Amino acid sequence: MKKLLLLLLFATPFCVWAQQSIPLTDLAAFDQPSQNWTIEQAVFSTYSDTAFQVSPGQGVLVNTLRGGKYHRTDDLKSKMQHGDIRLLVDFMLPKGMNSGIYMQGRYEVQLYDSWGKKTVKYSDCGGIYERWDDSRGKGNEGYEGYAPRQNASKAPGLWQTLEIDFQAPRFDANGKKIANAIFKKVILNGILVQENIEVSGMTRGAIFDKEAPFGPILIQGDHGPIAFRNLRFETYEKPTASLGEVSYDYYTGKFTDPIIPTTKPVSSGKLPALTYRVIPVNNDYLIHYKAELTIPEDDTYEFQTFWTGSGELKVDGVVLNKGAHWFNEMVPASTFLKAGKHRLEIVHIKDFPWGPKALGLNVKRIGSRLVSLHERTSLLDPDAVGLIEVKANAEPVLQRSFAFHLGKKKTHVIHVGDPAGLHYSYDLKQGAILQVWRGKFLDATQMWDNRGEPQTSEPLGLTVVQDGKFPLALAHQAQADSTDLVYKGYRLEAGRPIFIYEWTAAKLRVEDRIQPAGNGLKRTLTLVGASPQKTDVEAVLATGHHLSILQNGLASQPGNFMEWKGAAAELLKIASGAQQIRVPFTGAQFTYDLIW
Amino acid sequence: MKKYTALVLLFATALGAFAQTKPAPKKEQDYYEIKTLPIPKEIYLEVGGLATMPDGRLAVSTRRGEIWIVENPYQKTSHQTYYRRFASGLHEVLGLAYKDGVFYCSQRGELTKISDTDRDGVADLYEPIYQFDLSGNYHEYTYGPVIDKNGDMWVSLNLAWVGFGEGKFSKWRGWFVKITPDGKLEPFAGGLRSPAGYSFNEEGDLFYGENQGDWVGSGRVTHLAKGDFAGNPGGLKWAKEPNSPLKLSLEEIQDNGSPMFEAAKKNPKIKLPAVWFPHAIMGISTSDIVQDTTRGKFSPFPGQYFVADQGQSKVMRMGLEKVNGVYQGFAINYREGFQSGILRERFGLDGSMFVGMTSRGWGSTGKDDFGLQRLFWNGNMPFEIDMIKAKSDGFEFSFTQPVDVNSVKKAASYAIRSYIYKYQHQYGSPIIELKDLKIKGVEVSADRKKVRISIDGIRQFFIHEFTLKGVLNEKGEPLLHETAYYTLNEIPTGPALVAAAPEAEIKTKVTARNVKNSMGYELGIAGLLKKHTCSACHAKDSKLIGPAFTEIAKRNYSNQKILELVYKPNPQNWPDFATEMAPMSHVPKSDVLKIAGWINGLRETESLKNHD
Repeated sequence: MKKLLLLLLFATPFCVWAQQSIPLTDLAAFDQPSQNWTIEQAVFSTYSDTAFQVSPGQGVLVNTLRGGKYHRTDDLKSKMQHGDIRLLVDFMLPKGMNSGIYMQGRYEVQLYDSWGKKTVKYSDCGGIYERWDDSRGKGNEGYEGYAPRQNASKAPGLWQTLEIDFQAPRFDANGKKIANAIFKKVILNGILVQENIEVSGMTRGAIFDKEAPFGPILIQGDHGPIAFRNLRFETYEKPTASLGEVSYDYYTGKFTDPIIPTTKPVSSGKLPALTYRVIPVNNDYLIHYKAELTIPEDDTYEFQTFWTGSGELKVDGVVLNKGAHWFNEMVPASTFLKAGKHRLEIVHIKDFPWGPKALGLNVKRIGSRLVSLHERTSLLDPDAVGLIEVKANAEPVLQRSFAFHLGKKKTHVIHVGDPAGLHYSYDLKQGAILQVWRGKFLDATQMWDNRGEPQTSEPLGLTVVQDGKFPLALAHQAQADSTDLVYKGYRLEAGRPIFIYEWTAAKLRVEDRIQPAGNGLKRTLTLVGASPQKTDVEAVLATGHHLSILQNGLASQPGNFMEWKGAAAELLKIASGAQQIRVPFTGAQFTYDLIW
Repeated sequence: MKKYTALVLLFATALGAFAQTKPAPKKEQDYYEIKTLPIPKEIYLEVGGLATMPDGRLAVSTRRGEIWIVENPYQKTSHQTYYRRFASGLHEVLGLAYKDGVFYCSQRGELTKISDTDRDGVADLYEPIYQFDLSGNYHEYTYGPVIDKNGDMWVSLNLAWVGFGEGKFSKWRGWFVKITPDGKLEPFAGGLRSPAGYSFNEEGDLFYGENQGDWVGSGRVTHLAKGDFAGNPGGLKWAKEPNSPLKLSLEEIQDNGSPMFEAAKKNPKIKLPAVWFPHAIMGISTSDIVQDTTRGKFSPFPGQYFVADQGQSKVMRMGLEKVNGVYQGFAINYREGFQSGILRERFGLDGSMFVGMTSRGWGSTGKDDFGLQRLFWNGNMPFEIDMIKAKSDGFEFSFTQPVDVNSVKKAASYAIRSYIYKYQHQYGSPIIELKDLKIKGVEVSADRKKVRISIDGIRQFFIHEFTLKGVLNEKGEPLLHETAYYTLNEIPTGPALVAAAPEAEIKTKVTARNVKNSMGYELGIAGLLKKHTCSACHAKDSKLIGPAFTEIAKRNYSNQKILELVYKPNPQNWPDFATEMAPMSHVPKSDVLKIAGWINGLRETESLKNHD
């Protein structure tokens, strides 16, 4: 039964949100951009460059110093004005750069080259920058700055992602503020770094002197070069559906389908809001709710229902969804409705005694937040489990588990954590790095809580997924895979593993050593043994799309750089249409760094 | 001041105890003692494997992938132990062995050799002996290795769980395999479901403990020879492999709810258990099994077997004999009251037994999440059934002490019945074909330590349950454990008993003791709950393996509905509980209704409290 519940949880579809894009074909979306802002096709930078190389075209918004110094007038303002908003953007910073995104031109999330910093504060990337009040006295003017939960910054020169879910402040009819602005979520490079942070006022650098219901997106451009792409958002100003008084008819008996009986109800009544709590028994009942649904504007509305048992949702007599479910299973159904009054009905039965009674109804319209139409206590909150963390604070730590990689569950995975804060997951069957990350080490909750049914563990920090392939090939041959390999175990040196493989096709033993070095991981591949193929061995640094060789000894793939000393790399087209970067061995050893 | 008062109180209590005149009935702890090994607070020692080391240390492997070496585990010069982490990072180590200075362990996906090549006390070389296939299903546990005399390693491979046991996702799931030190795998026997514990006896025969579940009506211990099929067809896909010693398909197995021996008559590849452990009575999740090879140090029962149970946190005893070349014997309780669910038993150098525990999401009577204890015999001789042997017309009991001849000659001293379980794809089984049995004759040996009884209607293959509630020793004391369960696979030939009939007619039923006790109704219910083993899984107010009675009361079931659910449980009613309840249809209706009435009474008292 537990198993079933888990499946149900996984099956729960995520709420899709529709986003609008700010087109980056030109600067038309922005209010009087300074000459520093241009639209380009692509930007490039190594992790040590302080400026971009640019290739002309469309799709990327770039800020470049053009006339002497940067000024406040170099800040870029959207024409779009927003209140509640969810904003997604990719950004790239060269080394040492500083920028920020001001929600409503007033509340800043900091963008900063915080790469590799051990500790972070409000002024680091993903931080909520301070408010400022001179009257607080010298040295104490700044307040309400919020450091990100962890340093989730990538290396300069790599594209990073930022998502901000922002709730605007609320004002009464007289313009008096009645609720503060809230950063509901800030997600940097996939890491939740802020959640439900309420700010009592504006950031010091706000371009307005008063808070207000609306304002533009402001991108700080006065500190140095920065690039953006994929600017997308959804705002939440539109009115949404609402429910009037709910009337109900309640029946008892053995019902197996949500069909309204012809008998007289046991009881009937009216409720201020939808709730199961009028049902006095645990099972063997049918309840039929009816309510007036007010639709403010013609649009498509998504209804989400939750119940333990079976049920049916109808609008104007049309069945939107029907079925047997568990209460934590969200069932969506969308329909187009015209503005005006509609008749909403729910028929619900529970013909078994187990499981909690529950009834929930949410509505979502693009441009409006998800709203619950049920009374709060009518739907249970799912249980949350406390984190079981594996720490790697004092010495290198290894932990095997199952792990997901590109949607597949891998069963022979070892995670290696290092006090340097640089960690990786390794597929022992494949001799391959699955992912690398920095920050905290491992979340083992799904493996060690209760029975550990998923039996997986996950990175706790900024993660870059790798292709999961054995990194060697013979010249002019396809990359080796697990069928060419015999895993021989690992030995520990200073607590760090050296993985050992027999590479049967090459008749060589391979030792794979990965250890932290500076701001990345250094991987050393050593060929052991005498074999005629030894001189034909090539390291495969990356396979995929959007690969670049930036300079001799430095290449990039989406997510990370690869840096090495030795022979020049080749950028190949392989059979699948993807690209591949290979570097021939010049001796028995090849070393490269993964930098992200 | 406070301390002083407490001391005075303690003395007062002690005096109170001395003041009692009548000696208390003997308890397990009067003979079989448990000592707890302290565990440092930061170690989450969910024990998966134990290995006694010849240097006096103990190695413990854990679910969290660590191997700890415990120094001073016998707590000789001090009570304190010292934990040294030898290895870490492994994937759920459910078995550990130590040989020639090297550890061998099972991880989920690998049989691994772990060495300390630089001799600094910490492992630095982890080498795979064999890599197992895995599907990613959490229930594909890997147990072992047990190393045999030739140095080969034996590993058992649990089935996946997808609402039923399934072995087809990964090779050799549901099988015992033998792996040579250089990594060659040989499948040995199939039909396993959840083979958490197994060992070889002194004759070199392999026994394993199985958990009740699909195709397994009740817990059991089975002797496996090469090519045997232990009963669960989940892994039969692999019988088609060319190196399989077993050729069998699911279609050849009958699934009509008749007993396993009926299926075995039709298909002799089906191996019947040596001993059934009646579900909820003799455990709910059979785990480890070891033979007492300590020559009298560990227990008064040398050569017998000690079978652990995870859910009921206890160690049971099993005595085996071979009849017509087939292993069979009896199970009896030995020691309960361990701190968590027992997974591992290993003998220490001094003949005590290390007991490694974890409950990890299944729940157990012992409430700790994990634990490490030591079980030993203090040398006092309890009055116990020593051995039960099958005879052509009945059984012969031997006892650890001479019996009171009058007591064994009374028919009322015995309650005997036999029954069996269904063999079916459904989870578990009720007791079926229950029959009460009468004694025809009794014979006592000259030394009064053996009693042979002849019985009307012994049945081959059936479990014969003996409750020797009236048998006393010469001091007039009852048995420490009065109930034993003998699985009669084979009936030996031999002369019938020519002896006097017992002194009075046998009562046909075991009557519940304490039902109407002078101490009132509550204790009567307690007696019923214990007798019918309800209290093995349920407590009044707290969650054990099953829900608290107060929680059941909240469901507002009628007494009749409770009766129905006791006879035919619906596990879906309690999705938060990991262990499904077994059908208890053998419990008399009147007793269930009494219990049901009591449960529903709990609701009324509960509602008065007004928790809102």
